[in-house]
Amino acid sequence: MTEQEIIDTINRVFEESFEIEKEKLQPQAHIFTDLGLDSLDIVDLIVALQKSFGVNIRNEESVRNIRTLGDVYQFILDIKNKEPRKS
Amino acid sequence: MQLNRVVITGVGVVSPFGNGVAALMDGIEKGRSAVKHMEGWDQYTGLRSHVGAPAELIDEKKIPRQKRRSMGRMSIFSAQAAEEALADAGLALSELPPWQTGCIIGSTMGSAKSINDAFEIMLPEKDISRLNSAMFFQCMSHTAAANVAQYLGLNGYIMATAAACASSLQAIGTGYDLIRLGRQDILLCGGAEELHPTVTGSFDVLFATSTGYNHSPEKTPRPFDKDRDGLVCGEGSGILVLEEYKRAVSRKARIYAEITGYSTSGNGSHVSQSNKESMLYCMKKALSEANAAPEDISYINAHATATRQGDQEEAEAIRELFGDSVPVSSLKGYIGHTLGASGATELIASLLMMERGVIYPTLNLDTVSPECEGIGHVTRQTKKEISFILKNCFAFGGVNAALACKKI
Repeated sequence: MTEQEIIDTINRVFEESFEIEKEKLQPQAHIFTDLGLDSLDIVDLIVALQKSFGVNIRNEESVRNIRTLGDVYQFILDIKNKEPRKS
Repeated sequence: MQLNRVVITGVGVVSPFGNGVAALMDGIEKGRSAVKHMEGWDQYTGLRSHVGAPAELIDEKKIPRQKRRSMGRMSIFSAQAAEEALADAGLALSELPPWQTGCIIGSTMGSAKSINDAFEIMLPEKDISRLNSAMFFQCMSHTAAANVAQYLGLNGYIMATAAACASSLQAIGTGYDLIRLGRQDILLCGGAEELHPTVTGSFDVLFATSTGYNHSPEKTPRPFDKDRDGLVCGEGSGILVLEEYKRAVSRKARIYAEITGYSTSGNGSHVSQSNKESMLYCMKKALSEANAAPEDISYINAHATATRQGDQEEAEAIRELFGDSVPVSSLKGYIGHTLGASGATELIASLLMMERGVIYPTLNLDTVSPECEGIGHVTRQTKKEISFILKNCFAFGGVNAALACKKI
């Protein structure tokens, strides 16, 4: 999965799960104050990311540090980069 | 202790005829059936009844996402019915007295679809990590009451009465008691339910559903008819605004009727078989609280779901108390049995009959079954001044409820 594919997938989660217009999906957008998510939405974000990327992130401490959409991109990129490459 | 008087000042409905009281009454007035053949239900092994009265989700996205996400179908129906009821009562949200306005909305259970979805997600691999945050709020027993309260910002009494088909009449009765006692000023009361093959299935395993009309759905259910063969599940929500009488008068509200008598009681005998004696007690108790004699009642809206045994017991109870002098009809033939929503929805239709001075007949009652004879069956639209309504609900679990409403 390329970096752009990851970003597109995450953006699609925000559009479909949280009904946010595409134009608002900028990396610097704060997911709480700009995009309007709340604590329950974070639960759903985790569920949606797990489903979309086939990862288990429920117990990842670094989830708590996510503030912006760019942080979400980086969080998933970091996880994907740690995965062993398929030969 | 001087008890407050309680009046109904607003009504709202989502029914198999569509959103709104007008759609419900239009369907009933035209003698239409909302019962349909349910495509895809044949994939359920053992489910013999393939008929239902579905409602439609309309404009649900008008409810903001963060309010809507915790709503299953039934809560959306309730939120829309509650909004209509408040508007009908002429009450803006800003006018509702804080802490003194609440809602009591009953149902058999939480959202049937959401419960089914949750189990389908969770059980195959016994994995709860794929459940989203809203599942619990859609599945819980007080889902409709809690969601309506959150949506409208109500902070008074928030309660759910769970008594299957008597749920919404119990909700109205409980609201009546709370306002009488001065604990609340305004309560949105009613019920909600969803149609789902698992819901119809729960009646089907008990041989209580209609199975002989799968290809002529408009002919079933047939309350009190000799060819009745069981109930047909429906869905929707009915909500009434109950208000303390002096408050309603002081703001010059339109008053549909005053609630003057309510009774709920158990049959104490069987979980699924209703019995005449307990029905009789329940109706008598509601009448006595209303200071009404049987001859004072001008219309009985029967529970009558078209089961063989339930209709017979109700007809016998009505015959013993009222003879054949009081008009009786059941509305299940039009919209099926909306279960937890039925008491409120059918009471609303009865209040509109009171307002219009007309009684709508029992749809599909072509030939009265011999054991159901001797009561005042209404088989065609009848003009009549209605001053006093008695509404019955008799639920699985052996729970009865009756409510008396008087025109003032």
